[in-house]
Amino acid sequence: MIELNLQFLSFMAAAVLVVIGLGGMLFLDNLIKKIIAFTLLSDGVNLALVTLGYVEGGIVSILEPGTSGAAFPTNAVLIFGPGIVLTNIVIGVSTTAVLVAVTMVLYQRYGTLKASKVLKGERK
Amino acid sequence: MIDAFMVIAYVMVIGIAIGAVAALLQKDLLRAAFLSGAESIALAFLFQALLAPDLGLTQAIVATVLMPGIIIIGIFKTRRHEEE
Amino acid sequence: MNESISNLWSIPLFIIIPILAAILLNVLYSRKRAISVTAAVSSLALIVVSVLSPFGFHWFTGQPAVLPTGGYTYRADLLGWNLALEYYYGPLQQIAIFLASVLLLFVVLIAINSLKKNTGTYISLLFLTFMSAAIVIMVNDFYHLWIGVEIGSLIVAGVVLATGEAVSQKAALKYTFFSALSGAGLAIALALILGVTGYANISDAIIAMPLNDASLASVLYVAFGFTVLSWIYAGGLAPIHPLKADVYGSAFPHATILLQTQSKLMLVAIGLVILRLFGTLPFAKEVMLSVSVLTMMIGVVMAMLQTDFRWTLAYLIVSHSGLVTLGISLGTVQGIIGGLFQAVNDVVYMSVLLLACEGIYYFGRGTSIKTVSGIAKRAPWLAVAAIIGAFAASGVPPFNGFQSEIILIQASLNYGMPELAIVVLMVSVTTFIALFKGIYNIFLRPDDAPQAGEKQGMPVPRMLYVCLAALIFITILFGVYPQLAINFLNEAALKVVYIPWVP
Repeated sequence: MIELNLQFLSFMAAAVLVVIGLGGMLFLDNLIKKIIAFTLLSDGVNLALVTLGYVEGGIVSILEPGTSGAAFPTNAVLIFGPGIVLTNIVIGVSTTAVLVAVTMVLYQRYGTLKASKVLKGERK
Repeated sequence: MIDAFMVIAYVMVIGIAIGAVAALLQKDLLRAAFLSGAESIALAFLFQALLAPDLGLTQAIVATVLMPGIIIIGIFKTRRHEEE
Repeated sequence: MNESISNLWSIPLFIIIPILAAILLNVLYSRKRAISVTAAVSSLALIVVSVLSPFGFHWFTGQPAVLPTGGYTYRADLLGWNLALEYYYGPLQQIAIFLASVLLLFVVLIAINSLKKNTGTYISLLFLTFMSAAIVIMVNDFYHLWIGVEIGSLIVAGVVLATGEAVSQKAALKYTFFSALSGAGLAIALALILGVTGYANISDAIIAMPLNDASLASVLYVAFGFTVLSWIYAGGLAPIHPLKADVYGSAFPHATILLQTQSKLMLVAIGLVILRLFGTLPFAKEVMLSVSVLTMMIGVVMAMLQTDFRWTLAYLIVSHSGLVTLGISLGTVQGIIGGLFQAVNDVVYMSVLLLACEGIYYFGRGTSIKTVSGIAKRAPWLAVAAIIGAFAASGVPPFNGFQSEIILIQASLNYGMPELAIVVLMVSVTTFIALFKGIYNIFLRPDDAPQAGEKQGMPVPRMLYVCLAALIFITILFGVYPQLAINFLNEAALKVVYIPWVP
């Protein structure tokens, strides 16, 4: 019997997000839908990274005046995962912005959002 | 042992899964953008539960304003409904 | 082995100067005169800094280990080895950044003439391309490595979009979509290595790597797989080479110079990191070798099939990336020197060819070998430059391609795999055929439909010839005196093989 603790559940949620995001990016035909699927994928990766650093019954890794210095290193959640995720959220936003901009330009050119029509184009 | 804290986490996990699936099943792209935003807000609560409050705050701002905003700008400049 | 204990003054400048220049150029927007002065001064400053800078480290957090005597050391066996986010500037970094900044200067000077509007924005993107390459080649921690790769891939999309053609927009869209996968993969690999070893710094991670712990082997394999995925993506290697080839082919030819420099530096940097971290895993080198052989074969075959000189060059760049990775993935000192030297030479001679392509772009309508012909009569020096570039690319003796390819062939023979030497030879012969198909049709074939007024095109800017002359000088210099370059690369190769934990 697998224990349904928070870490396991979060990993499951991350797995669901990654699978749905990947599937959406690969199989959906609409470009905006692909972009939404990309945001889901990056959310899933973020959740996985945060969950990797989670410590059951731990404390937030911010050294407050009341915290005892001895217990802090063993109890605090790992800070590297959240450190990466903070950057990943920002990078995700900028990637989304670039994707939306390119999609808008391609829509003006082709008048459709269907990836199968837009990306079909032959090279010179 | 199930306390209120865990119940919130359960709800958020289920909300994330449902929001993600529902967002990609919509034909209306605007509704899909809002649903993915709702999923991201649930993710922000889950970050809070996973002892990363700074990420929760960042994710909340990004999820409520930036991501749906950018996608909605894209939708208004292109088309709202998915073509057949 | 005591080195300078303070942070090196020059390393932040490689990041700050391009960012400041990018901001300033973005504000200037389309004032051509101010833009050209700012861009030229900033890239000259980068060249000067890269030449004058001493070798050393820069830390963002963490510190070198403290000796009992009060000095500082980098010896790995001491406790207190606590380097964190760290940049290293050594001989390899010096030659790579020097070449990249020289090319940045040339590209910027040419780009000012070629774009009608939004010049400032475009040139600021070129500066950021240089910055991401400099980050990746200097870095010694996963965090900045990942950020450099991510920023680099976003900027590539921006540079490609500047042409405004449909094909480049599609290439940018596909490339950005895939960057999601590779960036996520690199982040997960980073998190796994952090989880296994507890360090973000690569030197620390190598020492703390539990290579003998069988229960963690699968985690290491997953991390290795994701790192290789991002290596393949950043360098444009075999299974997903169409993404990068589309990017090279659809950007402006002069922008492709910086794009290929960036991806060669990323190939070298990430390849060395993979070798240092995972080189002792079984199958690691075999995976890397098979990826590079596949890249070389597919690249040259696709290059033969193209009918546009730009696309021929695009696929040739991809296949020559395979030569670089072949040397690195052999894992011997000779092989790594060959790979690094090949990267340096590749950047130079492909730039000669791409600048010649830019010249054709000015003269004829496009670069397709079907529509453009008889350029040699109107621009004889351009033809000479293109032929010299083709000789260098296919490894003809007086030029630099020969020197690195002979090292690669010897390295693969010494490694005990003569097959690889045959593949290298095949690549150089096929490169020759593919290039001369294009060069013959564009330059030497008589002009069959002389429409004098219409086909004249713009005059080639004189700056292009100056840049071509400088690059051809470097080509011949490295071809005659290869030691000039190899002296810079020796140290890096020896360190990777014998003391992999030292950056």
